[in-house]
Amino acid sequence: MSTPAAARPLPMPDETSGPYWSAAADHILALARCARCGSFALPPDQVCPHCRSTDPDYAFEPVSGRGTVRSWTVVRQSGLPGFAADLPFVLVDVELAEQTELRMIGRLLDGPGALAGSDPALRLGARVRVAFEDVHPGVGVPAFTLAVTEPSGVTEPSGGVR
Amino acid sequence: MSGRRFAARNKVAVVGYAHSAVQRHAARPLGAVTLETARAAIADAGLTPADVDGIVTSALFPTAGSHAVQDGVSSVPATWLAERLSSGARHVAGFHGIGQIPGMVGMAVNAVASGAAQTVLVYRALHNPPGKYHANSMERAAGPAQWTAPQGFFGPLAMIGLPYNEYLQRYNADRAAMASVVVEARKNGSRIPWSYWHKRPLTAAEYLAAPMISDPVCRYDCDIPVDGVAAFVLTSAEHAADLPHRPVYVSGYASGLPARRRLPLHWPLDDIMDVGTETARRLWEASGVGPAEVDLPQLYDGFSPFVYFWLEALGFCPRGEAHRFVQDGRIDSDRPDGLPVLSGGGALGNGRMHGIPQMLECYLQLAGRAGDRQRAGATVGVACHSSPHYGGAVVYTAEPS
Repeated sequence: MSTPAAARPLPMPDETSGPYWSAAADHILALARCARCGSFALPPDQVCPHCRSTDPDYAFEPVSGRGTVRSWTVVRQSGLPGFAADLPFVLVDVELAEQTELRMIGRLLDGPGALAGSDPALRLGARVRVAFEDVHPGVGVPAFTLAVTEPSGVTEPSGGVR
Repeated sequence: MSGRRFAARNKVAVVGYAHSAVQRHAARPLGAVTLETARAAIADAGLTPADVDGIVTSALFPTAGSHAVQDGVSSVPATWLAERLSSGARHVAGFHGIGQIPGMVGMAVNAVASGAAQTVLVYRALHNPPGKYHANSMERAAGPAQWTAPQGFFGPLAMIGLPYNEYLQRYNADRAAMASVVVEARKNGSRIPWSYWHKRPLTAAEYLAAPMISDPVCRYDCDIPVDGVAAFVLTSAEHAADLPHRPVYVSGYASGLPARRRLPLHWPLDDIMDVGTETARRLWEASGVGPAEVDLPQLYDGFSPFVYFWLEALGFCPRGEAHRFVQDGRIDSDRPDGLPVLSGGGALGNGRMHGIPQMLECYLQLAGRAGDRQRAGATVGVACHSSPHYGGAVVYTAEPS
């Protein structure tokens, strides 16, 4: 019996997220910004998590996609379909540059190799930038890659593994 | 919100309990096991079902998997049990939230203290469904899941892997240090007759050889999903004086709620510890005790890193020090000078019973019913559940002052 490999879950854009996913399809990270207080909200709750406005009237604005690693985990079993071929993979918890504690979680496309060696490239504070996985026609899913680390001048990886 | 003394401090007591077998898959439906356990707890308290006029639980089925929730099979809501236990219940309620054990105990205590009920049965029924516990066949990630599942962030293993790694990296801690915690839980659980791990302790070498699941979390950092039920009877201090067992009084409780909105299941270390420290402050204020008075700090361990987080949040050691604190026998309940943080075996030593082992150990020790592991002179216990920033804790005492 052979069955085709299951696909990864696809995002279902809704009234809170349509512009986010349409930008992601174009490989742009655009986050919801509250019209009342100007803070980014991820996810964009119906109440602004910063000023508590019930009418945040979010606009989706492109951000730099740059950030620093606050933590990571190496996923060796996925409860979701579609990731089996990618195991093990690294998830990074990233604080985006635009706002204190604006945190986002995605796959680090450099993979577990970023943890190899005596001075691994993946560490607390490592710089990353957003990348996108084209998981389906018209669907881009945000992820991250290690960016050039400034003082040591380690070279930037050549890009995503997919 | 100003914290203050819990007005019902020591006015409500635990007067009896029962615990089912803890099995990977029970031979009979969870509802039937729950009803039997409830009847046994009521009998243990020297009462009959007609004496119980309140029923409180938290019915959450805590899986990320795509399992159907069916009353009496995977979940046992209070109404389900009330319809079958007796016809006299006038206060039937359920706690909705994380930190189910302190949540439901708080509701039960308040029902008795207010007079909404005189005697309340509280219980927790947990189910292990067929198939993989957290496997989910989702093809579309809708609602909150759209922000995490498409990129592979899903379920409680990655949830705990991130803050645990944040802890290890920030404090330059070695994951091997956790062997002391897991070995202690399994040692104590191996002595409990109904435990899934009865007579099956774990060595540090076995812990360190276990496969990683979501680094730095390995298999034995996680409790094992089970079918199991525990029930307790709570009543007023006045009524408790007439019942067969020595009452154990509820001094106070506190629960946390995250201060920041995050992605689903994103629990950063600072969120856990900042809110957890506040949870502990309110707990001490409500109950009138502090860490120095606690003989039995029963820490939650559904994932082993919570033991570190609770040790630090409750003030038993400074932040970043728990990985050292747990070494050299300092949490060994067999040593008279050890701090017995897992003397009841916890969830790691019993199976996924949520915060039940912590609550039960407080009850058994303070009621003088702990058998071979009875600790002389234990008068104050704390039973923790879930994360310090999303769950909570209850203070119990044998000696209301």
